[in-house]
Amino acid sequence: MRLDPRPGERIDRGNAVSFTFAGWKITGFEGDTIASAAFAAGKRVFSRSFKYHRPRGLLCCSGHCPNCQMTVDGVPNVRVCTEPIREGAVVEGQNVRWSLDFDFMSVTDKIGGPFTPVGFYYRTFIRPRALWPLYEKFLRGAAGLGTLDPHAGHSRRYDSEHRRARVLVVGGGEAGRTAALAAAKAGHGVVLVDEDARNADLALAGVEVLAPGRALGIWEGGLVPVDAGTTLYRFRAEKIVVATGATEQPVVFPGNDLVGVMLPDGVRRLVRDYSIRPGERAIVVGADDETLSIATELEDIGTEVVKVVDLREARPRELVAQGGKGRVRRLVLDGESFGCDLVVASGGRQPAYSLLAQAGARVEYDDALGVFVPTELPDGVEAVGSVTGEGLSKIAPEPAYPGKGKCFVCICEDVTTKDMRRAIGEGFDSIELAKRYTTATMGPCQGKLCQLPSVRVYAQETRMYESAIGTTTARPPWAPVELGLLAGRELTPARRGSIHWRHEEAGATIQWAGPWKRPYAYGEKPEDEVRAVHESLGVIDVSTLGKLLVEGPDTVSLLERLYPNRFGDMKPGRIRYGVLTSDGGRIMDDGTIARLADDLYYVTTTSTGADAVTAWFEWWNAVWGYEAEIVNVTGALAAVNLAGPKAREALGRLVEDPDDVAADAFKYLDAKHLEVAGVPTLALRIGFVGELGYELHFPSPAGEHLWDALVAEGARPFGLEPQRVLRLEKGHIIVGQDTDSESNLYSSGMSWLPKLDKDDFVGKFALEHFAQRDEKEKLVGFTMEENVVPAEGAQIVIEGMPAGRVTSARPSEAAGSIIGLAWVPTDRSQPGTRVEIVIDRMRRGAKITHGAFYDPSGERMRS
Amino acid sequence: MSFLLACPFCGPRPVDEYAYFGEVTTRPTGTPTLRELTDYVYFRDNVAGVQREWWQHRTGCGEWFLAERDTRTNEVLEVILPDPRKPAA
Amino acid sequence: MSLTFLSPSRCAEEAVTSPLRRALEGADPEAVRDLSLEGVVEIRGTLGVVVPAAGEELLRLSPRRGFLFTADDPAGVVERVRASGALAYDATGAYAGIAIASEQVLRRLTDLDLEQIPTAGPFAHVTALFRRGADGWFRVYVHQELGHYVAEAVLDALAGLETNA
Repeated sequence: MRLDPRPGERIDRGNAVSFTFAGWKITGFEGDTIASAAFAAGKRVFSRSFKYHRPRGLLCCSGHCPNCQMTVDGVPNVRVCTEPIREGAVVEGQNVRWSLDFDFMSVTDKIGGPFTPVGFYYRTFIRPRALWPLYEKFLRGAAGLGTLDPHAGHSRRYDSEHRRARVLVVGGGEAGRTAALAAAKAGHGVVLVDEDARNADLALAGVEVLAPGRALGIWEGGLVPVDAGTTLYRFRAEKIVVATGATEQPVVFPGNDLVGVMLPDGVRRLVRDYSIRPGERAIVVGADDETLSIATELEDIGTEVVKVVDLREARPRELVAQGGKGRVRRLVLDGESFGCDLVVASGGRQPAYSLLAQAGARVEYDDALGVFVPTELPDGVEAVGSVTGEGLSKIAPEPAYPGKGKCFVCICEDVTTKDMRRAIGEGFDSIELAKRYTTATMGPCQGKLCQLPSVRVYAQETRMYESAIGTTTARPPWAPVELGLLAGRELTPARRGSIHWRHEEAGATIQWAGPWKRPYAYGEKPEDEVRAVHESLGVIDVSTLGKLLVEGPDTVSLLERLYPNRFGDMKPGRIRYGVLTSDGGRIMDDGTIARLADDLYYVTTTSTGADAVTAWFEWWNAVWGYEAEIVNVTGALAAVNLAGPKAREALGRLVEDPDDVAADAFKYLDAKHLEVAGVPTLALRIGFVGELGYELHFPSPAGEHLWDALVAEGARPFGLEPQRVLRLEKGHIIVGQDTDSESNLYSSGMSWLPKLDKDDFVGKFALEHFAQRDEKEKLVGFTMEENVVPAEGAQIVIEGMPAGRVTSARPSEAAGSIIGLAWVPTDRSQPGTRVEIVIDRMRRGAKITHGAFYDPSGERMRS
Repeated sequence: MSFLLACPFCGPRPVDEYAYFGEVTTRPTGTPTLRELTDYVYFRDNVAGVQREWWQHRTGCGEWFLAERDTRTNEVLEVILPDPRKPAA
Repeated sequence: MSLTFLSPSRCAEEAVTSPLRRALEGADPEAVRDLSLEGVVEIRGTLGVVVPAAGEELLRLSPRRGFLFTADDPAGVVERVRASGALAYDATGAYAGIAIASEQVLRRLTDLDLEQIPTAGPFAHVTALFRRGADGWFRVYVHQELGHYVAEAVLDALAGLETNA
């Protein structure tokens, strides 16, 4: 089968390479592709078709058609015609039951004809509906391509790389090379990408050549992703030159998918690159000189050319390929039969305009050429060479030649002319609809080999002009791409405070909390951590709190207008709780605001709210044109909350002068500067967890040092879960958990907060309206009558009717029962009201409460 | 969406570097009626054409600015800095 | 109240550790280096009045926002800048800095036009400040809480050069 050595061949005959092909050991040469080596070894069937399981063989040999898709070393859908040979590779067929040469499922082809038209499955198997999952399982298994092992993970590493180019040329044919060289003369930054690995060593002065590389699409802003196998290059190009050429189109005649029916370029590659004689007896079918010239080339290598069918001369009344076992054996032309094992057929070339169309070019039918050509190119995009239609000869083969047998318009999806006719007959009267119904052009070739034939068949059947039918929308990806390549490396930003590793070392359970990684608890029993805070001393890492400095002459005006409550009347060194509302009056975020100096405030936000609050402050600052600077110092500062009856004592031992933290020198809601364990610290006396507590804010790089010092003083680390219990005991809300987009300050029990006598603040208009109306629902506390914990979101039932929902619930040792927060109708919100909560489908009694469950007067945190 | 938007300070950058804050609205003054308030809070013109909108170069210099953008083509006709000392909405 | 609570340089020396200490432990110093403890000062207001001293680099993001990279004590630089009429904040603790020798690693993690450096832009899906030293190394600064993640992304990209050059 292999010819004697020929000039220009790409194989190295001195270097044998062996691999397994569908169970057979095959030896080829370095420089072979898997397909060329297998073909040279006599293999002809490479795949089974999508629906009918018909044997398929090499057709285009250029990586476009679906016929040689196989599973190589576990990677499915590899086109082996372009996949380089490698030692020890395991190549297997896909979509087959048994083997490539004998596939049980090919029964679909034998008996399936009348039973498997388009839409058949969905119409036939839809009743009874209950059985559809069963049918679906079988049908999905019967059709398709390779299978992915969902548990296998990435079979290889994929990377992506961002590149820039002044001029990006797509396509390394003559026109592409010429354009690239011309561009390189004008300056640097010229890149040429070509899908053909053979162009890898193309040397063009001043041009970077990237091959094999497949441009997947053209997006806005000159973005062109290029698939280079395991690296995805994302090019941003100032100018894109599309030189994708024109693709040979199959001739549509019965039997046109038989093994042995090939496109001329595919034959040329086998002969020229791999020195293979593709057949013994060939027939050439074509309508242009380029196609017909292959006859001479075949004769040169000793193939007998039995017949040359020039479609320009006469319109065949019958053109049928017939065979045995799926392989072509003869061609029947107007009643006359010609024996052969190779049919080389082409219906001429269609400009590969898809990338241009994606970029925004119009695509029109050129009556003179009989193909679709791109027109009206968008700015920054140029087309050169045959993709423009330039140099193509006028070819107008019949849309489909008559005869008996299946006549394929789209080989990827096994769509025949009969399917197209049926779709049109059923009223799919636009090419876009017919495409969706038949799935023609939706397979792996992405319309490269079937767009034009399907439009031509459509035109013939509807008696419309191709120009009126138009094409279907070209969408990325232009070439099939591995999902792993698109996914690239997994990069999920995780925020970790500077004390994070201490928590890991202490064996804490770490979990995601918004964008942060945080400790849930340090041991199996979060309640032990709660008890430590109540009885002695605990410390929690709250570095995740959003922290902003606001400074400048307009700071007071800005804050007064951002918050419903007042901040201008605070003395430096004092702290106040603040809630941000939107102009719709909804609660957005909460936190504490400390005045550090006349024009300098320190604002904390919730852990998940830092970025949004910063943007919100900056936006209003820009809207109002204030002179205030908002500096996000969230990461600059670590923060810990030291809480418990022993907090003052412990802190006193870490500062130079314990009197600085004495009860009368550092009062509740005071902010002051302290040097703690040698670290300059902004200390805030606040009490989110309900005990005497200090929030210490200090330079991040000192995080571990200060944490260690506090732990050494006897503070027991506590995590998020114990903190949730502690704050719930105090009835402190978590914005976003206990409140939602409908909650406002009045319904959430904070009617004391807004100061409606202020001139203006964000949310004032809405709060004025809320103040005058009755809220339908109120946020209240509840205690369970029994020892069961409702889920967050559990339904509240009053007189058998759904009436509200639980937002938080936890067992509390300090309160002696299960406690929680819930939204209930206003008329049922009085303390002592009994409601029922649905827990595991059972209704359990609960009593409404107001205020804190623990230390309601706040003596402990103020002490 | 991969169009380029020119930050007034950093120059053209892919649009995913920016936070979009919607069309410029006019905040009511005085004591708006509930209808005026609702219009301001919930309703947008949503034009198919050129509109003035707020953007922030979040993955960049961080500055807020205004852009005149054609919503049909994503063509940005002009970027404008908010005038300090002059309320923009 | 002063803003010294922002300044790592005002902490006891043994108190201070880099956010990248664990991520870059054992990393090849010819490929990546930790810059996290070098001084960074965030500047706001009238950037025009700021005069960088020798060895300092001022990254202007806008007329009102910038960063001053300094080898001096950043807390002192804050005072100097404030005295000249702009606002300044010690951002040394706010940023994790990583010096990267390979341009290709940069291209794997950002779509930024590297010709635009110094600037701010995306890096491994987060916002970063970019500088380039006379030694040709790229200096990338991200919020310190993202430092560990970014350092791991950089090391992963470096490892990827072995597989997908």
